[in-house]
Amino acid sequence: MLEIHSLVSGYGALTVLHDVSLSIGDREAVAIVGANGAGKTTLVRTICGLLRARSGRVLKNGVDISQTPTHDMADHRIAVVLENRRLFGELTVRENLLLAERRGRGARKVFDWADIYALFPMIEERLETPVNLLSGGQQQMVAIARALLLQPNLLIMDEPSTGLAPKVVKDILNVIKELRGRGMALLLVEQNVGIASAITDRAYVLALGRIEHEIQPGAWDTFLKDERLVKAYLGS
Amino acid sequence: MTLSLILQALQAGITNGFIYALVGMGLAVIFRGSRVINVMHGEFSVVGAMTTVLVLTAAKYPYWFAIIAGLLTGPAIGALIELTLVRPMIRQQATEDQFVLLTIGLERAIAASVLFFIGRDGHLLPAFGGDHVFIVFDVVIREHSLWLIAIAIIVVIALREFFRRTTLGLALTAASIDADGAATTGINVARMRTLTFVLGGLLGAIAGILITPLIAVDYTTGLPITLKGIAAAVLGGFTNPLGAVVGGLTLGIIESLVIVGVSSGYKDVLTFSILIAIMIFMPHGILGRGGRGGG
Ligand SMILES: Nc1ncnc2c1ncn2[C@@H]1O[C@H](COP(=O)(O)OP(=O)(O)OP(=O)(O)O)[C@@H](O)[C@H]1O
Ligand SMILES: [Mg+2]
Repeated sequence: MLEIHSLVSGYGALTVLHDVSLSIGDREAVAIVGANGAGKTTLVRTICGLLRARSGRVLKNGVDISQTPTHDMADHRIAVVLENRRLFGELTVRENLLLAERRGRGARKVFDWADIYALFPMIEERLETPVNLLSGGQQQMVAIARALLLQPNLLIMDEPSTGLAPKVVKDILNVIKELRGRGMALLLVEQNVGIASAITDRAYVLALGRIEHEIQPGAWDTFLKDERLVKAYLGS
Repeated sequence: MTLSLILQALQAGITNGFIYALVGMGLAVIFRGSRVINVMHGEFSVVGAMTTVLVLTAAKYPYWFAIIAGLLTGPAIGALIELTLVRPMIRQQATEDQFVLLTIGLERAIAASVLFFIGRDGHLLPAFGGDHVFIVFDVVIREHSLWLIAIAIIVVIALREFFRRTTLGLALTAASIDADGAATTGINVARMRTLTFVLGGLLGAIAGILITPLIAVDYTTGLPITLKGIAAAVLGGFTNPLGAVVGGLTLGIIESLVIVGVSSGYKDVLTFSILIAIMIFMPHGILGRGGRGGG
Protein backbone atom coordinates (compact mmCIF):
# COMPACT_ATOMS: atom_id res chain seq x y z
CA MET A 1 0.00 0.00 0.00
CA LEU A 2 2.52 2.64 1.16
CA GLU A 3 6.29 2.34 1.24
CA ILE A 4 8.64 5.05 2.42
CA HIS A 5 12.34 4.70 1.67
CA SER A 6 15.05 6.75 3.39
CA LEU A 7 13.05 9.94 3.63
CA VAL A 8 14.97 13.10 4.54
CA SER A 9 12.99 16.29 5.09
CA GLY A 10 12.98 19.54 7.01
CA TYR A 11 12.57 23.31 6.93
CA GLY A 12 15.25 25.58 5.49
CA ALA A 13 18.54 24.78 7.15
CA LEU A 14 16.86 22.51 9.69
CA THR A 15 16.73 18.80 8.84
CA VAL A 16 13.93 17.20 10.84
CA LEU A 17 13.56 13.72 9.36
CA HIS A 18 16.70 11.64 8.95
CA ASP A 19 16.47 8.57 6.79
CA VAL A 20 12.96 7.47 7.72
CA SER A 21 11.75 4.21 6.19
CA LEU A 22 8.48 2.46 6.88
CA SER A 23 5.72 0.57 5.15
CA ILE A 24 2.01 -0.07 5.46
CA GLY A 25 0.32 -3.13 4.01
CA ASP A 26 -3.15 -3.37 2.46
CA ARG A 27 -5.89 -2.94 5.05
CA GLU A 28 -3.28 -2.43 7.73
CA ALA A 29 -3.46 0.19 10.48
CA VAL A 30 -0.11 1.53 11.56
CA ALA A 31 0.68 4.17 14.16
CA ILE A 32 3.53 6.63 14.37
CA VAL A 33 4.14 7.55 17.96
CA GLY A 34 6.70 9.95 19.37
CA ALA A 35 7.22 12.86 21.74
CA ASN A 36 6.51 16.52 21.03
CA GLY A 37 8.73 17.75 18.24
CA ALA A 38 9.81 14.26 17.18
CA GLY A 39 8.89 15.07 13.59
CA LYS A 40 5.52 13.31 13.27
CA THR A 41 3.76 16.20 11.59
CA THR A 42 6.78 16.81 9.38
CA LEU A 43 6.50 13.20 8.23
CA VAL A 44 2.79 13.57 7.41
CA ARG A 45 3.38 16.83 5.53
CA THR A 46 6.21 15.29 3.55
CA ILE A 47 4.19 12.20 2.60
CA CYS A 48 1.31 14.30 1.29
CA GLY A 49 3.54 16.73 -0.58
CA LEU A 50 2.98 19.88 1.46
CA LEU A 51 6.69 19.66 2.20
CA ARG A 52 9.16 18.46 -0.44
CA ALA A 53 11.46 15.65 0.63
CA ARG A 54 15.19 16.40 0.38
CA SER A 55 15.74 12.80 -0.64
CA GLY A 56 14.11 9.43 -0.38
CA ARG A 57 11.02 8.02 -2.02
CA VAL A 58 7.36 7.55 -1.20
CA LEU A 59 5.60 4.77 -3.12
CA LYS A 60 1.86 4.21 -3.22
CA ASN A 61 0.97 0.83 -4.66
CA GLY A 62 4.35 0.82 -6.33
CA VAL A 63 3.99 4.30 -7.89
CA ASP A 64 6.49 6.97 -6.85
CA ILE A 65 4.43 9.87 -5.50
CA SER A 66 7.25 11.93 -4.00
CA GLN A 67 6.79 14.60 -6.71
CA THR A 68 2.99 14.44 -6.79
CA PRO A 69 1.34 17.72 -5.75
CA THR A 70 -0.83 17.55 -2.65
CA HIS A 71 -4.05 18.23 -4.55
CA ASP A 72 -3.47 15.12 -6.68
CA MET A 73 -3.02 12.72 -3.75
CA ALA A 74 -6.68 11.79 -4.14
CA ASP A 75 -5.83 10.29 -7.54
CA HIS A 76 -3.62 7.86 -5.65
CA ARG A 77 -6.42 7.24 -3.18
CA ILE A 78 -4.63 8.90 -0.30
CA ALA A 79 -6.49 11.30 1.99
CA VAL A 80 -5.05 13.24 4.91
CA VAL A 81 -6.59 14.78 8.00
CA LEU A 82 -4.00 17.37 8.98
CA GLU A 83 -3.10 18.44 12.49
CA ASN A 84 -5.68 20.99 13.71
CA ARG A 85 -8.17 19.75 11.07
CA ARG A 86 -7.71 22.67 8.69
CA LEU A 87 -11.38 23.05 7.78
CA PHE A 88 -12.85 26.07 5.98
CA GLY A 89 -14.29 27.77 9.03
CA GLU A 90 -16.68 30.27 7.43
CA LEU A 91 -18.10 27.70 5.03
CA THR A 92 -20.91 25.40 6.07
CA VAL A 93 -20.51 21.70 6.79
CA ARG A 94 -22.17 20.94 3.46
CA GLU A 95 -19.82 23.23 1.55
CA ASN A 96 -16.75 21.77 3.24
CA LEU A 97 -17.84 18.27 2.28
CA LEU A 98 -19.08 19.21 -1.18
CA LEU A 99 -15.62 20.33 -2.26
CA ALA A 100 -14.18 16.94 -1.39
CA GLU A 101 -17.14 15.07 -2.84
CA ARG A 102 -16.76 16.84 -6.19
CA ARG A 103 -13.06 16.05 -6.24
CA GLY A 104 -13.69 12.41 -5.33
CA ARG A 105 -16.16 12.00 -8.17
CA GLY A 106 -14.91 9.83 -10.94
CA ALA A 107 -12.85 7.80 -8.51
CA ARG A 108 -14.14 4.40 -7.52
CA LYS A 109 -16.88 5.31 -5.11
CA VAL A 110 -16.54 3.91 -1.62
CA PHE A 111 -18.27 6.59 0.46
CA ASP A 112 -21.36 8.52 -0.57
CA TRP A 113 -23.37 11.03 1.45
CA ALA A 114 -25.48 8.25 2.97
CA ASP A 115 -22.34 6.51 4.27
CA ILE A 116 -21.17 9.78 5.77
CA TYR A 117 -24.50 10.33 7.53
CA ALA A 118 -24.42 6.76 8.82
CA LEU A 119 -20.91 7.17 10.21
CA PHE A 120 -21.55 10.66 11.62
CA PRO A 121 -25.27 11.23 12.31
CA MET A 122 -24.43 14.71 13.60
CA ILE A 123 -23.34 15.82 10.13
CA GLU A 124 -26.76 15.38 8.59
CA GLU A 125 -28.27 17.60 11.29
CA ARG A 126 -25.68 20.33 10.98
CA LEU A 127 -25.24 20.52 7.20
CA GLU A 128 -26.02 24.24 6.96
CA THR A 129 -23.99 25.27 10.02
CA PRO A 130 -20.74 27.16 9.47
CA VAL A 131 -17.97 24.84 10.58
CA ASN A 132 -16.45 27.31 13.04
CA LEU A 133 -19.64 27.18 15.11
CA LEU A 134 -19.20 23.44 15.75
CA SER A 135 -17.50 21.89 18.77
CA GLY A 136 -13.98 20.53 18.40
CA GLY A 137 -15.23 16.96 18.25
CA GLN A 138 -17.81 17.77 15.60
CA GLN A 139 -15.16 19.58 13.58
CA GLN A 140 -12.92 16.53 13.76
CA MET A 141 -15.77 14.44 12.41
CA VAL A 142 -16.29 16.85 9.51
CA ALA A 143 -12.57 16.72 8.81
CA ILE A 144 -12.62 12.92 8.66
CA ALA A 145 -15.77 12.97 6.52
CA ARG A 146 -14.15 15.44 4.14
CA ALA A 147 -11.18 13.11 3.76
CA LEU A 148 -13.40 10.08 3.19
CA LEU A 149 -15.32 11.77 0.36
CA LEU A 150 -12.05 11.88 -1.58
CA GLN A 151 -12.58 8.08 -1.76
CA PRO A 152 -9.22 7.02 -0.32
CA ASN A 153 -8.03 3.53 0.48
CA LEU A 154 -5.33 4.97 2.73
CA LEU A 155 -6.29 7.50 5.39
CA ILE A 156 -3.57 9.48 7.14
CA MET A 157 -4.49 11.26 10.37
CA ASP A 158 -2.35 13.60 12.43
CA GLU A 159 -3.39 13.58 16.11
CA PRO A 160 -7.16 13.38 15.61
CA SER A 161 -7.74 13.12 19.36
CA THR A 162 -5.89 16.24 20.51
CA GLY A 163 -7.95 18.49 22.72
CA LEU A 164 -11.09 16.37 22.61
CA ALA A 165 -13.14 15.04 25.54
CA PRO A 166 -12.77 11.29 26.24
CA LYS A 167 -16.36 10.60 25.20
CA VAL A 168 -15.79 12.26 21.81
CA VAL A 169 -12.48 10.45 21.35
CA LYS A 170 -14.35 7.20 21.89
CA ASP A 171 -16.88 8.11 19.19
CA ILE A 172 -14.10 8.88 16.76
CA LEU A 173 -12.28 5.67 17.60
CA ASN A 174 -15.45 3.74 16.86
CA VAL A 175 -15.67 5.37 13.46
CA ILE A 176 -12.06 4.49 12.75
CA LYS A 177 -12.73 0.89 13.76
CA GLU A 178 -15.71 0.84 11.41
CA LEU A 179 -13.49 2.15 8.59
CA ARG A 180 -10.95 -0.54 9.31
CA GLY A 181 -13.72 -3.08 9.05
CA ARG A 182 -14.37 -1.80 5.55
CA GLY A 183 -10.76 -2.37 4.57
CA MET A 184 -9.34 1.12 4.92
CA ALA A 185 -5.59 1.26 5.48
CA LEU A 186 -4.61 3.72 8.16
CA LEU A 187 -1.57 5.74 9.12
CA LEU A 188 -2.30 7.28 12.50
CA VAL A 189 0.01 9.81 14.11
CA GLU A 190 -0.55 9.91 17.86
CA GLN A 191 1.18 11.10 20.96
CA ASN A 192 -1.32 9.22 23.06
CA VAL A 193 -0.14 5.62 22.95
CA GLY A 194 -3.29 4.43 24.69
CA ILE A 195 -5.35 5.59 21.72
CA ALA A 196 -2.83 4.39 19.17
CA SER A 197 -2.69 0.92 20.67
CA ALA A 198 -6.48 0.65 20.68
CA ILE A 199 -6.89 0.91 16.93
CA THR A 200 -3.63 0.00 15.22
CA ASP A 201 -1.90 -3.32 14.58
CA ARG A 202 1.62 -2.10 14.99
CA ALA A 203 3.62 1.10 15.27
CA TYR A 204 6.84 2.93 14.60
CA VAL A 205 8.39 5.02 17.33
CA LEU A 206 9.80 8.28 15.99
CA ALA A 207 12.40 10.10 18.10
CA LEU A 208 14.35 13.15 16.95
CA GLY A 209 13.39 12.44 13.37
CA ARG A 210 14.50 8.80 13.28
CA ILE A 211 12.59 5.56 13.57
CA GLU A 212 14.08 4.31 16.81
CA HIS A 213 11.85 1.36 17.51
CA GLU A 214 9.15 -0.81 15.95
CA ILE A 215 6.21 -2.23 17.83
CA GLN A 216 5.30 -5.47 16.10
CA PRO A 217 1.76 -6.86 15.82
CA GLY A 218 0.68 -8.12 19.23
CA ALA A 219 3.53 -6.30 20.97
CA TRP A 220 1.64 -3.16 22.03
CA ASP A 221 1.07 -4.52 25.54
CA THR A 222 4.70 -5.42 26.12
CA PHE A 223 5.73 -1.97 24.92
CA LEU A 224 3.23 -0.16 27.11
CA LYS A 225 4.28 -2.17 30.16
CA ASP A 226 7.94 -1.36 29.62
CA GLU A 227 8.15 1.95 31.46
CA ARG A 228 11.77 2.41 30.51
CA LEU A 229 10.94 2.25 26.77
CA VAL A 230 7.89 4.46 27.03
CA LYS A 231 9.81 7.05 28.99
CA ALA A 232 12.80 6.96 26.69
CA TYR A 233 10.80 7.46 23.50
CA LEU A 234 7.74 9.36 24.51
CA GLY A 235 9.01 11.22 27.53
CA SER A 236 5.95 10.44 29.60
CA MET B 1 -28.27 74.63 -1.63
CA THR B 2 -31.44 73.28 -3.16
CA LEU B 3 -32.92 69.83 -2.93
CA SER B 4 -32.43 69.20 -6.62
CA LEU B 5 -28.78 70.13 -6.29
CA ILE B 6 -28.39 67.55 -3.55
CA LEU B 7 -30.24 64.96 -5.59
CA GLN B 8 -28.07 65.77 -8.57
CA ALA B 9 -24.99 65.24 -6.43
CA LEU B 10 -26.37 62.00 -5.03
CA GLN B 11 -26.88 60.54 -8.47
CA ALA B 12 -23.34 61.45 -9.45
CA GLY B 13 -22.11 59.97 -6.16
CA ILE B 14 -23.97 56.72 -6.71
CA THR B 15 -22.65 56.44 -10.27
CA ASN B 16 -19.06 56.99 -9.14
CA GLY B 17 -19.69 54.80 -6.12
CA PHE B 18 -20.47 51.82 -8.30
CA ILE B 19 -17.21 52.34 -10.19
CA TYR B 20 -15.31 52.46 -6.89
CA ALA B 21 -17.24 49.36 -5.86
CA LEU B 22 -16.16 47.41 -8.95
CA VAL B 23 -12.53 48.44 -8.48
CA GLY B 24 -12.69 47.71 -4.75
CA MET B 25 -14.25 44.31 -5.35
CA GLY B 26 -11.44 43.40 -7.74
CA LEU B 27 -8.85 44.51 -5.19
CA ALA B 28 -10.59 42.54 -2.46
CA VAL B 29 -10.86 39.41 -4.61
CA ILE B 30 -7.12 39.53 -5.31
CA PHE B 31 -6.20 40.41 -1.72
CA ARG B 32 -8.32 37.63 -0.32
CA GLY B 33 -6.95 35.08 -2.76
CA SER B 34 -3.28 35.99 -2.56
CA ARG B 35 -2.69 38.59 0.21
CA VAL B 36 -1.35 40.92 -2.49
CA ILE B 37 -2.40 44.59 -2.31
CA ASN B 38 -2.56 45.19 -6.03
CA VAL B 39 -1.39 48.76 -6.56
CA MET B 40 -1.53 48.33 -10.36
CA HIS B 41 -5.25 47.55 -10.21
CA GLY B 42 -6.30 50.85 -11.80
CA GLU B 43 -4.16 49.95 -14.81
CA PHE B 44 -6.52 47.07 -15.53
CA SER B 45 -9.14 49.80 -16.00
CA VAL B 46 -6.89 52.04 -18.09
CA VAL B 47 -5.68 49.26 -20.38
CA GLY B 48 -9.20 47.86 -20.73
CA ALA B 49 -10.59 51.28 -21.66
CA MET B 50 -7.69 52.22 -23.96
CA THR B 51 -7.88 48.90 -25.79
CA THR B 52 -11.59 49.44 -26.35
CA VAL B 53 -10.86 52.95 -27.64
CA LEU B 54 -8.20 51.69 -30.04
CA VAL B 55 -10.19 48.74 -31.39
CA LEU B 56 -13.15 51.05 -31.88
CA THR B 57 -11.45 54.07 -33.45
CA ALA B 58 -8.24 52.82 -35.06
CA ALA B 59 -9.43 49.40 -36.19
CA LYS B 60 -13.05 50.54 -36.73
CA TYR B 61 -14.63 47.42 -35.28
CA PRO B 62 -18.16 47.58 -33.87
CA TYR B 63 -18.54 48.86 -30.29
CA TRP B 64 -19.60 45.53 -28.82
CA PHE B 65 -16.56 43.86 -30.33
CA ALA B 66 -14.26 46.58 -29.00
CA ILE B 67 -15.77 46.18 -25.54
CA ILE B 68 -15.14 42.44 -25.53
CA ALA B 69 -11.57 43.02 -26.65
CA GLY B 70 -11.10 45.59 -23.88
CA LEU B 71 -12.65 43.32 -21.26
CA LEU B 72 -10.33 40.46 -22.18
CA THR B 73 -7.19 42.50 -21.48
CA GLY B 74 -7.97 42.48 -17.75
CA PRO B 75 -7.99 38.69 -17.28
CA ALA B 76 -5.06 38.31 -19.68
CA ILE B 77 -2.84 40.81 -17.83
CA GLY B 78 -3.97 39.41 -14.48
CA ALA B 79 -3.06 35.86 -15.45
CA LEU B 80 0.26 36.99 -16.91
CA ILE B 81 1.23 38.86 -13.75
CA GLU B 82 0.29 35.97 -11.51
CA LEU B 83 2.00 33.27 -13.56
CA THR B 84 5.22 35.10 -14.44
CA LEU B 85 5.80 37.28 -11.36
CA VAL B 86 3.66 36.46 -8.35
CA ARG B 87 4.00 32.69 -8.54
CA PRO B 88 7.80 32.62 -8.67
CA MET B 89 7.91 35.18 -5.85
CA ILE B 90 5.65 33.03 -3.71
CA ARG B 91 7.96 30.11 -4.38
CA GLN B 92 10.80 32.29 -3.06
CA GLN B 93 8.62 33.04 -0.02
CA ALA B 94 8.45 36.77 -0.75
CA THR B 95 7.03 38.99 1.98
CA GLU B 96 3.94 41.20 1.72
CA ASP B 97 5.98 44.38 1.25
CA GLN B 98 7.87 42.79 -1.63
CA PHE B 99 4.54 42.20 -3.34
CA VAL B 100 3.55 45.82 -2.77
CA LEU B 101 6.84 46.90 -4.39
CA LEU B 102 6.14 44.57 -7.30
CA THR B 103 2.70 46.03 -7.95
CA ILE B 104 3.94 49.63 -7.54
CA GLY B 105 6.58 48.86 -10.16
CA LEU B 106 3.99 47.34 -12.46
CA GLU B 107 1.74 50.35 -11.94
CA ARG B 108 4.49 52.76 -13.06
CA ALA B 109 5.59 50.50 -15.91
CA ILE B 110 2.10 50.13 -17.38
CA ALA B 111 1.34 53.85 -17.01
CA ALA B 112 4.62 54.62 -18.82
CA SER B 113 3.74 52.15 -21.58
CA VAL B 114 0.38 53.80 -22.07
CA LEU B 115 2.12 57.18 -22.33
CA PHE B 116 4.63 55.74 -24.81
CA PHE B 117 2.20 53.92 -27.08
CA ILE B 118 -0.90 56.11 -26.84
CA GLY B 119 0.41 59.50 -25.79
CA ARG B 120 -0.76 62.18 -23.40
CA ASP B 121 -4.25 62.65 -24.77
CA GLY B 122 -7.29 61.65 -22.83
CA HIS B 123 -9.80 59.40 -24.59
CA LEU B 124 -13.54 59.00 -24.24
CA LEU B 125 -15.78 56.13 -25.28
CA PRO B 126 -19.30 56.58 -26.63
CA ALA B 127 -21.93 56.59 -23.87
CA PHE B 128 -24.24 53.58 -23.70
CA GLY B 129 -27.57 54.91 -24.89
CA GLY B 130 -25.89 57.86 -26.62
CA ASP B 131 -26.35 61.32 -25.15
CA HIS B 132 -29.88 60.63 -24.05
CA VAL B 133 -30.78 62.06 -20.66
CA PHE B 134 -33.68 61.66 -18.27
CA ILE B 135 -34.91 64.54 -16.16
CA VAL B 136 -36.49 63.53 -12.86
CA PHE B 137 -37.30 66.21 -10.23
CA ASP B 138 -35.01 68.65 -12.06
CA VAL B 139 -32.21 66.12 -11.82
CA VAL B 140 -30.43 65.39 -15.07
CA ILE B 141 -29.54 61.70 -15.36
CA ARG B 142 -27.55 60.49 -18.33
CA GLU B 143 -28.80 57.23 -19.73
CA HIS B 144 -25.24 55.95 -19.51
CA SER B 145 -25.33 56.32 -15.71
CA LEU B 146 -28.34 54.04 -15.56
CA TRP B 147 -26.60 51.46 -17.74
CA LEU B 148 -23.51 51.75 -15.59
CA ILE B 149 -25.47 51.22 -12.37
CA ALA B 150 -27.48 48.33 -13.83
CA ILE B 151 -24.39 46.56 -15.16
CA ALA B 152 -22.52 47.08 -11.89
CA ILE B 153 -25.43 45.61 -9.93
CA ILE B 154 -25.55 42.61 -12.25
CA VAL B 155 -21.80 42.10 -11.82
CA VAL B 156 -22.12 42.31 -8.03
CA ILE B 157 -24.93 39.76 -7.98
CA ALA B 158 -23.13 37.47 -10.42
CA LEU B 159 -19.98 37.58 -8.31
CA ARG B 160 -21.93 36.84 -5.17
CA GLU B 161 -23.66 33.86 -6.77
CA PHE B 162 -20.37 32.66 -8.23
CA PHE B 163 -18.75 32.58 -4.79
CA ARG B 164 -21.77 31.11 -3.09
CA ARG B 165 -23.16 28.58 -5.48
CA THR B 166 -20.51 27.29 -7.82
CA THR B 167 -17.95 24.68 -6.87
CA LEU B 168 -15.24 26.82 -8.41
CA GLY B 169 -16.30 29.82 -6.34
CA LEU B 170 -16.33 27.70 -3.18
CA ALA B 171 -12.91 26.32 -4.05
CA LEU B 172 -11.57 29.86 -4.45
CA THR B 173 -12.95 30.78 -1.04
CA ALA B 174 -11.64 27.56 0.49
CA ALA B 175 -8.14 28.12 -0.89
CA SER B 176 -8.10 31.62 0.57
CA ILE B 177 -9.30 30.46 3.99
CA ASP B 178 -6.82 27.62 4.40
CA ALA B 179 -4.36 26.76 1.66
CA ASP B 180 -3.14 23.51 3.24
CA GLY B 181 -6.67 22.41 4.04
CA ALA B 182 -7.65 23.15 0.45
CA ALA B 183 -4.70 21.28 -1.04
CA THR B 184 -5.53 18.20 1.01
CA THR B 185 -9.13 18.52 -0.19
CA GLY B 186 -7.86 18.18 -3.74
CA ILE B 187 -7.95 21.87 -4.67
CA ASN B 188 -5.13 23.20 -6.84
CA VAL B 189 -4.28 26.22 -4.69
CA ALA B 190 -1.86 27.82 -7.17
CA ARG B 191 -4.45 27.66 -9.94
CA MET B 192 -7.01 29.29 -7.62
CA ARG B 193 -4.58 32.15 -7.07
CA THR B 194 -4.18 32.65 -10.81
CA LEU B 195 -7.93 32.70 -11.07
CA THR B 196 -8.23 35.46 -8.48
CA PHE B 197 -6.00 37.64 -10.67
CA VAL B 198 -8.10 36.76 -13.72
CA LEU B 199 -11.26 37.72 -11.89
CA GLY B 200 -9.71 40.87 -10.41
CA GLY B 201 -8.46 41.90 -13.85
CA LEU B 202 -11.89 41.41 -15.35
CA LEU B 203 -13.53 43.55 -12.66
CA GLY B 204 -10.93 46.27 -13.22
CA ALA B 205 -11.49 46.27 -16.99
CA ILE B 206 -15.28 46.42 -16.55
CA ALA B 207 -14.88 49.48 -14.32
CA GLY B 208 -12.57 51.15 -16.85
CA ILE B 209 -14.91 50.64 -19.78
CA LEU B 210 -17.93 51.80 -17.80
CA ILE B 211 -16.30 55.02 -16.58
CA THR B 212 -14.65 56.12 -19.82
CA PRO B 213 -17.82 57.54 -21.41
CA LEU B 214 -18.05 59.85 -18.37
CA ILE B 215 -14.42 60.73 -17.67
CA ALA B 216 -11.62 60.90 -20.24
CA VAL B 217 -8.99 58.29 -19.49
CA ASP B 218 -5.29 58.93 -19.98
CA TYR B 219 -2.00 57.47 -18.76
CA THR B 220 -2.37 59.11 -15.33
CA THR B 221 -5.83 57.73 -14.55
CA GLY B 222 -4.76 54.37 -13.12
CA LEU B 223 -3.37 55.39 -9.75
CA PRO B 224 -6.33 57.55 -8.64
CA ILE B 225 -8.63 54.67 -9.61
CA THR B 226 -6.56 52.29 -7.48
CA LEU B 227 -6.65 54.70 -4.52
CA LYS B 228 -10.43 55.05 -4.64
CA GLY B 229 -10.74 51.29 -5.00
CA ILE B 230 -8.47 50.67 -2.02
CA ALA B 231 -10.55 53.11 0.01
CA ALA B 232 -13.74 51.29 -1.00
CA ALA B 233 -12.21 47.91 -0.22
CA VAL B 234 -10.80 49.01 3.14
CA LEU B 235 -14.16 50.51 4.11
CA GLY B 236 -15.69 47.15 3.28
CA GLY B 237 -13.21 45.23 5.40
CA PHE B 238 -10.87 44.37 2.50
CA THR B 239 -11.36 40.63 2.55
CA ASN B 240 -15.03 40.73 1.67
CA PRO B 241 -15.63 41.66 -1.99
CA LEU B 242 -19.25 42.56 -1.29
CA GLY B 243 -18.14 44.87 1.50
CA ALA B 244 -16.38 46.87 -1.19
CA VAL B 245 -19.78 47.64 -2.72
CA VAL B 246 -20.95 49.26 0.51
CA GLY B 247 -17.55 50.95 0.80
CA GLY B 248 -17.60 52.22 -2.77
CA LEU B 249 -21.09 53.67 -2.51
CA THR B 250 -20.27 55.31 0.84
CA LEU B 251 -17.19 56.84 -0.69
CA GLY B 252 -18.96 58.05 -3.83
CA ILE B 253 -21.81 59.63 -1.92
CA ILE B 254 -19.61 61.33 0.70
CA GLU B 255 -17.45 62.70 -2.11
CA SER B 256 -20.35 64.14 -4.09
CA LEU B 257 -21.94 65.74 -1.03
CA VAL B 258 -18.60 67.32 -0.12
CA ILE B 259 -18.46 68.81 -3.61
CA VAL B 260 -21.89 70.49 -3.40
CA GLY B 261 -21.69 71.27 0.31
CA VAL B 262 -18.16 72.63 0.49
CA SER B 263 -16.14 72.86 -2.67
CA SER B 264 -14.68 70.52 -5.20
CA GLY B 265 -11.21 71.73 -4.22
CA TYR B 266 -11.63 70.15 -0.80
CA LYS B 267 -13.12 66.98 -2.23
CA ASP B 268 -10.23 64.62 -1.60
CA VAL B 269 -9.12 66.24 1.68
CA LEU B 270 -12.54 65.96 3.26
CA THR B 271 -13.43 62.62 1.73
CA PHE B 272 -10.25 60.95 2.89
CA SER B 273 -10.50 62.57 6.33
CA ILE B 274 -13.92 61.03 6.71
CA LEU B 275 -12.56 57.71 5.50
CA ILE B 276 -9.72 57.80 8.02
CA ALA B 277 -12.23 58.56 10.77
CA ILE B 278 -14.39 55.62 9.70
CA MET B 279 -11.35 53.35 9.69
CA ILE B 280 -10.32 54.44 13.17
CA PHE B 281 -13.75 53.86 14.64
CA MET B 282 -14.61 50.80 12.54
CA PRO B 283 -11.31 48.99 12.00
CA HIS B 284 -12.95 45.96 10.39
CA GLY B 285 -14.88 48.00 7.86
CA ILE B 286 -18.41 49.32 7.82
CA LEU B 287 -19.88 45.83 7.84
CA GLY B 288 -17.73 44.74 10.77
CA ARG B 289 -16.43 41.24 11.22
CA GLY B 290 -18.14 37.93 10.94
CA GLY B 291 -19.76 38.16 7.55
CA ARG B 292 -18.57 35.32 5.40
CA GLY B 293 -16.08 36.43 2.81
CA GLY B 294 -17.58 36.68 -0.60
CA GLY B 295 -21.03 35.55 0.44
N1 LIG C 1 7.28 25.34 9.80
C1 LIG C 1 8.39 25.01 10.50
N2 LIG C 1 9.53 25.70 10.32
C2 LIG C 1 10.65 25.37 11.02
N3 LIG C 1 10.73 24.37 11.90
C3 LIG C 1 9.62 23.64 12.12
C4 LIG C 1 8.40 23.92 11.43
N4 LIG C 1 7.46 23.03 11.84
C5 LIG C 1 8.08 22.24 12.75
N5 LIG C 1 9.37 22.60 12.91
C6 LIG C 1 10.34 21.93 13.78
O1 LIG C 1 10.48 20.59 13.35
C7 LIG C 1 10.57 19.72 14.46
C8 LIG C 1 9.51 18.64 14.33
O2 LIG C 1 8.23 19.25 14.40
P1 LIG C 1 6.91 18.44 14.14
O3 LIG C 1 5.80 19.42 14.11
O4 LIG C 1 7.09 17.57 12.96
O5 LIG C 1 6.82 17.55 15.45
P2 LIG C 1 5.61 16.66 15.98
O6 LIG C 1 6.19 15.34 16.28
O7 LIG C 1 4.47 16.70 15.06
O8 LIG C 1 5.26 17.39 17.33
P3 LIG C 1 3.83 17.57 18.06
O9 LIG C 1 3.61 16.36 18.87
O10 LIG C 1 4.04 18.79 18.90
O11 LIG C 1 2.79 17.78 17.01
C9 LIG C 1 10.43 20.57 15.69
O12 LIG C 1 11.73 20.80 16.20
C10 LIG C 1 9.83 21.86 15.20
O13 LIG C 1 10.30 22.95 15.96
MG1 LIG D 1 2.53 17.32 15.19
